[in-house]
Order: sequence, then structure tokens, then C-alpha cells
Amino acid sequence: MGVSRRQVLLGSAGAIGAATTFFPKPAVAASDPIKIGFPAAMTGPSSAPTIGFNRGVTFAVDAINAAGGVKGRMLEVITRDTQGDPTKAVNATQELISQAKVHAIWGPFNSGEALATTPIMARAKMPNVHPCVVETLIDPAKFPNAFRLAPSNNQWDDAVRNYCLNILKVKKVAVIGDTTGYGVTAVGASVAAFRKDGAEVAYQANIDATQPDMTPDLLRARNAGAEVIVVWSVSTGMEARMFNTRAAMGWDISFVGHPSMASGELAGLVEKPENWKKVYAIGYKSCSYDASGKLPAKSQDLVDRLLKANVSVKDTLLWWIAGGVDAIDLIAKAVEESGSTDSAGIIKYWNSLSKYPGYFGNYAFSPTQHNGYLTEEIVMSEASSAKNGTFALAPGYT
Amino acid sequence: MFASILASGLAAGAIYALVGVTYNTMFSTSRVMSFTAGQLAMLGGVFGSMFTLKLGMPLLAGFLLTLIACAIVGIITEFVAVRPVLKSLDQHLYVLSTLALALMIQQVAAIKWGTEPQPFPRLIGWGSGVWDEKFWLPVVACAITIAGLEYLYRRTLVGRAFVAIAEDNFAARALGLPERNLRVASYALAGVIGGIAGFSGGELLLAFFANGALLNFYGFVPVALGGLGNNRGAIVGGLALGLFQQAANFLVGGIFSSVAVFALFIVVLLARPQGLFGFQAARRV
Amino acid sequence: MTAVAEAPVRSERRDLRGIGLQIAPFVAVFAAAMILPFVSNDYWALIGTRAAIYWVLVSGLNLVVGFAGHLAIGYVALLTLGAYTTSVLVAGNVMPPLDVFVALAVAGLVGAVFGVVVGLPALRLRTFYFAMSTLGFATIVTQIALAWQSVTGGGIGIAGPEFPAPFNTAWGYYYLCIAFAAVCTWLSANIAHSRFGRALIAIRDAEVAAEATGISKQRLLIAIFLFAGALAAIAGGLFASLQTYITPDAFTFDLSVLFFIAILIGGRGSILGPLLGTIILTILPEIAAPLAAWSTFLYAVLLLVIVLVMPGGIAALLDWRNRRPLLSNRAIVPRPAALAEVLRKSPGDNVLRLRGVTLSFGNVRAIDNLDLDVKPGEIHGLIGPNGSGKTTTLNVISGYYVAKAGTIGLGERVLDPGEPTLRARIGIARTFQTPRIIGEASVLQNVMIGGTIDGQSSFVEAMLSLPRNRRDERMLTAKARSLLNVVGLEALADVRADRLQHSELRFIEIARALMLEPDFLLLDEPAAGLSGDEIKRLAALVSAIRQRGTGLLLVEHHADLIFDICDRVTVLNLGRILAAGTPAEIRVHKEVVSAYLGG
Repeated sequence: MGVSRRQVLLGSAGAIGAATTFFPKPAVAASDPIKIGFPAAMTGPSSAPTIGFNRGVTFAVDAINAAGGVKGRMLEVITRDTQGDPTKAVNATQELISQAKVHAIWGPFNSGEALATTPIMARAKMPNVHPCVVETLIDPAKFPNAFRLAPSNNQWDDAVRNYCLNILKVKKVAVIGDTTGYGVTAVGASVAAFRKDGAEVAYQANIDATQPDMTPDLLRARNAGAEVIVVWSVSTGMEARMFNTRAAMGWDISFVGHPSMASGELAGLVEKPENWKKVYAIGYKSCSYDASGKLPAKSQDLVDRLLKANVSVKDTLLWWIAGGVDAIDLIAKAVEESGSTDSAGIIKYWNSLSKYPGYFGNYAFSPTQHNGYLTEEIVMSEASSAKNGTFALAPGYT
Repeated sequence: MFASILASGLAAGAIYALVGVTYNTMFSTSRVMSFTAGQLAMLGGVFGSMFTLKLGMPLLAGFLLTLIACAIVGIITEFVAVRPVLKSLDQHLYVLSTLALALMIQQVAAIKWGTEPQPFPRLIGWGSGVWDEKFWLPVVACAITIAGLEYLYRRTLVGRAFVAIAEDNFAARALGLPERNLRVASYALAGVIGGIAGFSGGELLLAFFANGALLNFYGFVPVALGGLGNNRGAIVGGLALGLFQQAANFLVGGIFSSVAVFALFIVVLLARPQGLFGFQAARRV
Repeated sequence: MTAVAEAPVRSERRDLRGIGLQIAPFVAVFAAAMILPFVSNDYWALIGTRAAIYWVLVSGLNLVVGFAGHLAIGYVALLTLGAYTTSVLVAGNVMPPLDVFVALAVAGLVGAVFGVVVGLPALRLRTFYFAMSTLGFATIVTQIALAWQSVTGGGIGIAGPEFPAPFNTAWGYYYLCIAFAAVCTWLSANIAHSRFGRALIAIRDAEVAAEATGISKQRLLIAIFLFAGALAAIAGGLFASLQTYITPDAFTFDLSVLFFIAILIGGRGSILGPLLGTIILTILPEIAAPLAAWSTFLYAVLLLVIVLVMPGGIAALLDWRNRRPLLSNRAIVPRPAALAEVLRKSPGDNVLRLRGVTLSFGNVRAIDNLDLDVKPGEIHGLIGPNGSGKTTTLNVISGYYVAKAGTIGLGERVLDPGEPTLRARIGIARTFQTPRIIGEASVLQNVMIGGTIDGQSSFVEAMLSLPRNRRDERMLTAKARSLLNVVGLEALADVRADRLQHSELRFIEIARALMLEPDFLLLDEPAAGLSGDEIKRLAALVSAIRQRGTGLLLVEHHADLIFDICDRVTVLNLGRILAAGTPAEIRVHKEVVSAYLGG
């Protein structure tokens, strides 16, 4: 063979040696960049949110740096691909903390990863914002450094249940999820909450997202008398199959649930555009347009700036991009207001926000409340009405 | 209900069977079980969607280009992951090399094509409901492929040369058959078969990068059930697997259906280690 | 031609130096691990702890994959099991919470049992099939973890166990895991260097020969599966603590494959290789990490490159001893006289009797109504044209084939048909038509395998390197060296067997067969491929074996050798006895001459 064994051995020893050599760190100068860690699932399953967040992050960082940075210091994002794997997420997070020495972390974006990385960041007192939905991730006593800037799963569940019971006014629901960890837990919690509110759960199931035919499950739901189908899945493939099957069955029923049902790629996955109607996905006031097609002024401003910067919004959701922008802004503002990249200062600043006006939402944090998103800002959207990543409000809202 | 289980079971089963045939074709001339079989089927769907939807080519052209692309990937497998390890004494290296190559293919697909399932175009547009194209197309494709392979192996010289290499490598070489070229050709053929599997199954499974790992396992079950190198056994095994899987999905739901499939697979293998149709190993002393 | 005639004197110091050289790399790795905390940060503590935990699992799996040769790709199943068992027991979901070390021990027991469950298909299934069945197990365990919400927390998962101070800091835990890793290295190395480790390699590379020496595949594999399963489960518990929180999606196919790859990259039959392989594979993705999305691609490329450039693995790379060129003009000079000192047991008076043995393959009568007697202290020659049933006869006596009719008896006892592993214990040994030698093992190890069942110590004693096992090893080593001395190959004792010439392999097989001091020795064409000189020396050796009272059944084509040393000769043709008698009678027998001898 061409390469000799000795060459490979020496070469790899050299590479490993170089990677593990520890250069002495220079003293921190005031003009050193502000480093933000971004542990993202870029090549794992369901990376669509990550791609959306990434666009927001890049846009916000470029904008801030172009305007001179934060008090003369540039922002630098250090990205690591966690592939949706908690093991890689733990490694990446620790590397960002101890080796890359970032000043704050935005992420991770997958609940399984977040469950494993949160204790590590807490131990290192690393300021952390993330959008993951699992309830136990936020605990101001155990994890004083962790802040959530998106709704928790309970908030999502409340919004969906509220829409079904109080606006659509149904009594019997079917609850369907995929077989991921998230899907199994979300379905369980949702079913329990529906029952507590006096509704009847006619059918519940966790379906493998790759199951090619949804007809048996939808037939069973129909036979059980379901009046609405609540969906807790991140798999757009599975959702598309359900929409197409509903049309094939000629069943006039609404789907209500997870925001992924409004995802742009569904346009290509449904057989006919009509199949995507009467699907109501979780949305946000900030990203919804009214009956005359107008977005709230602040969101419109963001969309205009994004389009001007050639950031694509059509094939993603605005709330992902807005979330990414807000995260960077929150970190930048914290450094600016607290005067340094000290973690205690950043956390103190975040704890003081009573109504921080972001693009995605208005955040309220306090030393005892780290779930920053306000429940009243969650709405249901008409899933197929996407325009530049924003949606029309579902019917029934006044 | 029953009709839809039958339709989706046969369709999924036909795809699994074709992947099994892909495994067999690669095995027959090299005695190597390649982890790239499932990835070839995944590429059939991804390339198909890319050529026909993204690049807007006419269906036939897109189909042929897909097959050519998959054949090239098959040839690359032979060059990079199979030929170098055949020389060495340690037979198990092929597991590592084909695994590494499969991982590379999967990662490139994830990065370049995206990690969300992309749509696959409607090809002919006949049928709806239980008779929808996405159900009968894989079955028809499978039948045509098998018929084609039978013709190849029995009636053409090249096909018989393949069989010769598979049955007795040394004798075939002694007869002057160009073993290396035939092996490359059979890997190209395996690529084509995988491409057909992915293309015909595109509407059912969508153009999704994670299909590769899934089909690696579900495509191997027909091989195990049918006996290594036995294409007919692979067809029967694949169809049976598809039907069983869809029935299990229906009866016990998503989580436990995969448990059921794997458990049954292990039980069947233990009962008949050589597969349902395979032959007992020959004298070993 | 230079003759290697003098047996070199083995000095104690040379042995010690050999052992020192063997241990040195491990000490180096251990030393590097101990000083890591003083030169780096928490991140490298994490990576180091992870490598140590992976190695705890891999050290056990190494015996299954690297030594026994079974492709257990899905071993993450046991990691998952151990992780959840430990976490659930410490959290107190099904019973009152247990202390974390107790929970770890319980997890080890559970892992041992399931290690056997996952591994048992290996006894029936061929390689790739077994690999897939382990993958099936991995999926089943993960799916059950996902579904059994009340106990495992389902998709939300469960908190990993916490260790008491001083192990609850990054570096404290690091040292704990290093300690576990060191202990596991010691345990698995003990097994590897004992007769059990050699027996595993024998089963992997020369299964037929292993059976002939009495090695029971089933019992040995079960012991290995118990060991590997326990270690994997303990690794799982440590893993859960490192992650601080486990969910089913943490136990990926990629992780499982990583363990498997570490062993193959490390090289089979080695401990140091897989150790370095595990460390490299833990660090490799971290080096590639700055590439973000392309990191896994780079990892796969590096993997492929390593496989293609170093097919023998790291172990082959580090095997300097086998790079030294061998003398090209070697001669095999046996010392038949030394035989009497080595073989002390006196053979009995029993006669090996075949009566009316018949065996068919399909419609072909391989052996037809065969009567044969082999008396102690006698060489019985078995000759005939190709296909006359000579080797088949040996195989029936060895128990690889079951005769359709007739009996084979040793003295009073009737031999169990179809049980080749029982032959060694009752005093029947053999060599094979094509030498069945383990290429990757040294000559000395190959010969020592012959005496495996003579060992007194148990698997556990070997694992803990207790005195009785060390005594066994000394006994086997000494005996093997003496036998190598007898066959004249003592200078090649430490050379890898696949570097040897064909004729040398034949003599090694004879040495191996003599390890148990058999009452009967079956030789299958031992002179095939030997030069004229070598045949003469073989004849002298075989005669010496006869002198001490062993009965020999010699299948041969070399008529000169037969007529030279045999006491009785039986001629087979088409499965039937053509003639039987003394060599002088056979030489002039008309039918024999026309059918076989010619002239």
C-alpha cells in the first residue's frame, strides 16, 4: 500500500499530541471576543429547529458585530455538532466550558441532550439559555444558571387543551405521538391533563414515525368517536402521512398540536394542498398575522431586516429565527449591562428582566422564575398559512 | 383494516426484500456482508428525489441517472471497502470498512441533502387508497427485478459467470474468469438493485437520510431468514417481515412492534440457524 | 545447513525481562492517566473518565470479540441494562433505595445473566447472523426502557446515580473510574494469559482442533459471557453517573459500534491493542469536533484509513518481536530420546477396537463394515487410494462423524458417538490432514493448548491469578517447552505460528497432541509435504512414541514410511478392507499391489 504504517503511526501520534497540547492562555484582555457556545444537533434527526435557530444566531451576531460589537468586543459563536446524542452533548458542553472557555451557552435544543448537560452547566455556573420544553430542566434552586426562553411543554399542553376544550368545544379527543422519548412523555402528560379537565380520551397511541401507513390508527380513532386529534410528534413525515390518510378516508376532523405541523416541508409531503387544511399548530402571537395579513410591527421589522440580509425565511419558522436572535441579544445585553463577561453578572441581569421585549416574545425572569415565556403569548396557528415563516391565527380567536 | 395492512406490508416487505437481494449480490462474489446495502437504498430515494424534484428532470431520465449514481456508489464500495480487506487474512475487517463507508455516505446525505424527510414525486399516478401507487410500485419493481436477475443468472454468460464465482471461487479463476472485474460488476449491479429499491419505495419511505440505517437491519432479516445468497428465500423472508411488521404495528403499537420484530427474528434464527431455506454447512473436518 | 541442535538455557532473568516488557506499556498508560489531572482541565477529566468507563466494558467484550471471535456488535444492550438498573436501584423506584456501590454490584449480576442471554445465540449462529441478533437485543432493551415509564421514566429518563464524596467531583470520579479500569485490565489480562484465553483463541481459529484437545466451547463461552456481561453492566452504571441523567436515546448504535471497532482496531488476541484503541476512539471525535457538522464524516474517514493501513490492528503494529527475521535455513531435528523424560504417565493395556463400523455420506458408502484394532505400543498403518475412507475413519474415531452401524470401543468402554470433546480425556489425541494451527498465536501457546484440560484451576482462579492457576501455567509452560525440545523446535517457541513452514507446523501438531500424554495417537498423513530428511526424523520420533507404550494409528501415503515403522497395516479401498496384516505380507499382496502400490 502507498502509505507506510510508520507514517500513519507517527502522523496520528502527532495529531493527537497537537490536540492535547495545552498552550498557556494569555491574560484576558478587555478587547477579547465574547464567546458564545452553540451545541446544536446539526446532523442528527430533526435538526430543522437547529437550522432555524442557527440562522437567527448568525444574523444577530453579524448585525451586532457590524455595529461595533458590545463595548468594542466582538461576538464569537463556537458551534459543536451534537447529533442529537446526549453523550456527544455532554462532551461538547464540557469542552465549551473548560477548553473553549465560552462565556454563555445557547442550547442545547433537544430535551434528551439538555437533561444530561444541565447539571454540568450548573456545576460550572455557566449562564445558559435554551428552548427545550421538558419541565424538569428549569429549577431556579437546583440550576440557578439556566433560563428558558421558550414555552415549556406544560405551557404548550395548556394552550392546545384550551383551544380544544374552550374554542373548538369538543368532549372526546384522540392523542397521538411518535415513539421518541419526547413523544411518549408528551402523550402521557397530555392524556392525564385532558382527563383532569373532564374530557374523554377516546384513543391514544405512540406510532413509529417510519410506519408507512397510518390508516389503521386513524380508523381506530374514528371508530372510537374522536372529535379532534391532538398530535405530539416532531416527525413531519409521520404528520404528512396522517394528513394524507385523513383526506383518503374523507374524515372531516381537525388536527391540533405540535408546532412541527406547520413546518414548511409539509407543503411538499402532502398529496394535495387541501390535505393540510384544518391543521392547527402551536404558534406565537409575535409570529402570527391577523385577518388583514399584518404582522405585529416589531416582527415585521425583523422580517424586513432578514430579507434584506438575504436570510431565507420561507422554508423555516420565524419563531426559530427570532428565538436565535433573542438569545444572542439577551447574552449581548447582559454583558453590556453588567459590564463584563462574568457569569454572576450575566445571571443577575437576566434575573432582573421583568418584561424584556424580544422578537419572539416578551420575557420575564426573576430569581425564582426562570420560565421566561408568557403563556398568554401562545396561540394556535392555521398550519398551512405560512408566509415568510409566520402564520394566520386559527379560527375562534377574537 | 386488513386490506391496508396487506397493502403496506407487501410494499414495505418488497423494499426489504430488494435490500436483501442487494446484500446477497454483494456477498455472492466477495463473501462479504456489506453494511452499505441499506445506504444504497436510501440513496435510491434521495437521488431520485433530487433528480426529479429538485432538478426537475423527466422521470425516466431521473430514474436512469439514479441507477447510474447508485451503481457508482456500489463500485466505490468495492474499491474502497472490500477489495483492500479481501487480501488480508482477517475476514472480519470488512465489517469495519463497510461500516465506516456506510457512515460516510450517511453523513454526506445528512449534510448535503438535509436531515428532514423530503418528498418524493408521484411517478405514474395510478390508483388510490389501498391500491395507491406507493403500495403497488415496490411490489412490481421487486417482481421485475427478480425476473431480471433470474434471466441474468440462468440465460446470460455474465450471469453464469457470477454464479460460478459465487459457488467456487478457485475453480472459476482457474477457468480464467476475470474474478476482479466480475466482482466490480456485481457491486455495480448491487448498487442498481439498491437504487431500484429506494426509488420504487420513495413514496412510501420518503427521501430520508435515516432510512439507510433502518434498511440495513430490516434488509438483513430477509437474508437471514432466506439463507445467505438465496434470492428467492430473501423475497419470501422480506414479504413475510413486511406483513409481520405492519400487523404488529397495528396490534401492539409503535414501540412494541419493533420489539416483536426483533424478538421473532432472534427466535427464528435460533430455531433454524441456516435460515428457513438455507442449507446446513458442509463438512467441516 | 545450520542445525538448531542445542536447547538454549532459559534463565530466570530473561523470563522476568519478558514479563517486564509486557507490562511496561500498561504502566506507561496508567502513569499518563495518573498525571492527567495535573496538566489539564475538567474537559479532559470528562474525556478521560469516559475512556476509562468504555474500557471497563471493552475489556470484557474484548474476550468475546477479540479472543472468542464472536461479532457482538450490539453490546450497548448490556450498557443500557446496567445504566438503568443502577439508576433505578439508587433512585428507589421499585424498592427502597440502595447504596450506589451495592447497586453497581447488583447491576453486575444482572448484566452477567443477560450477557449469557445475549451471547448464547453465538453457539448456534454464524458470525454476521450473531452480529445482527445482538443488534436486535440492543433495540429490544432500548425500546423496553422507553416503554416502561413507571420504572425507567420512559422518554424523560432517569437521573444517574451519585457517588459519595470524594468521588462526586470531576477528578475524584476520574480516579475512581481509572481504578475500575485498572482492575478490569488486570482481570481480563489474567484470563487472556491463562489456558482459558488460549482456549478461546483455539475455538476461534481452530475449532476442530480445539475439540480434539477436549476444550468445551459451551462452558467456556458461558463463562466469558458472564464475565463480559457483568463488566458491561458495571460500565453502564458508571456511565449513567457520568452523564448525570440517562435517556434511552443516549444508547445509540454508534456507541455500540465504537466498542466493537475499538477491539478490531486494537487487534485480536491482545489486551494492550484494544486499550489503546478505546482511548483513541474516545479522543478521535473530540479532535474532529471543531469541524461541527463534518466531524462525524471525518471520524468515519479516519476509521476507514486506520482499517486499511493497519489491518492487523495496533497490536500487530506493536508486535516488534515478530518483526525479527527468522533464520532461513532452519532444520527440524527432533530428540526422540528426550521423550521419556517428558511423558511420565504409563499407558494402559486397553485396545482401541473398531467393529463393523459403517458410515455413508448420502448414497456414498465412505466406510463399509470396518474392523480395526490398535494395540498399545504398536503402530498400525492405514493406507489406501484417495477416497478410500482413511481420514473418515480417523474422524469417526475422533467423534466428528457418527457411524451408522458398528461400535468403537476402548477397552471395556464404548466411545460416545459424535462427541469429539470427550476423546481427549480418555486418552485419544490426533493430528490433522492439514495442520490446524492458530496462526496468530505463538508456537509455545499452540502447544500449550494441547494440555488445556489438564489444568486444575477454575475460571475464577484464573481471573484472579490465584496460586493454583499460576501453578497450572508453570506446569503447562514447562511441559510445552519440553515437548518442543523433543520435536526440535524449541528455538521457535515465541514466534507467531503463521510465520513457520508447513513441515514445522506438522511437528507442532505432534507436540500439541502429546501434551496430554495420550494412550492413543491418531496421525493423519503427518509426512505430507515433508522432505526426505524430515520423514526419516519423523519416523524416529514416531517410533520413540511407540517405545513408551502409546498405540498409534498412522494414515499415510508414503509407503516407505509405512513399511518402515508399522507393526501392522490395514489397506482400505472404497471404504472396505482390502487386506490386513504385517507389512511384509501387505507388500506382496496381489490386490494391494494392483490397486494401490503398483510395480
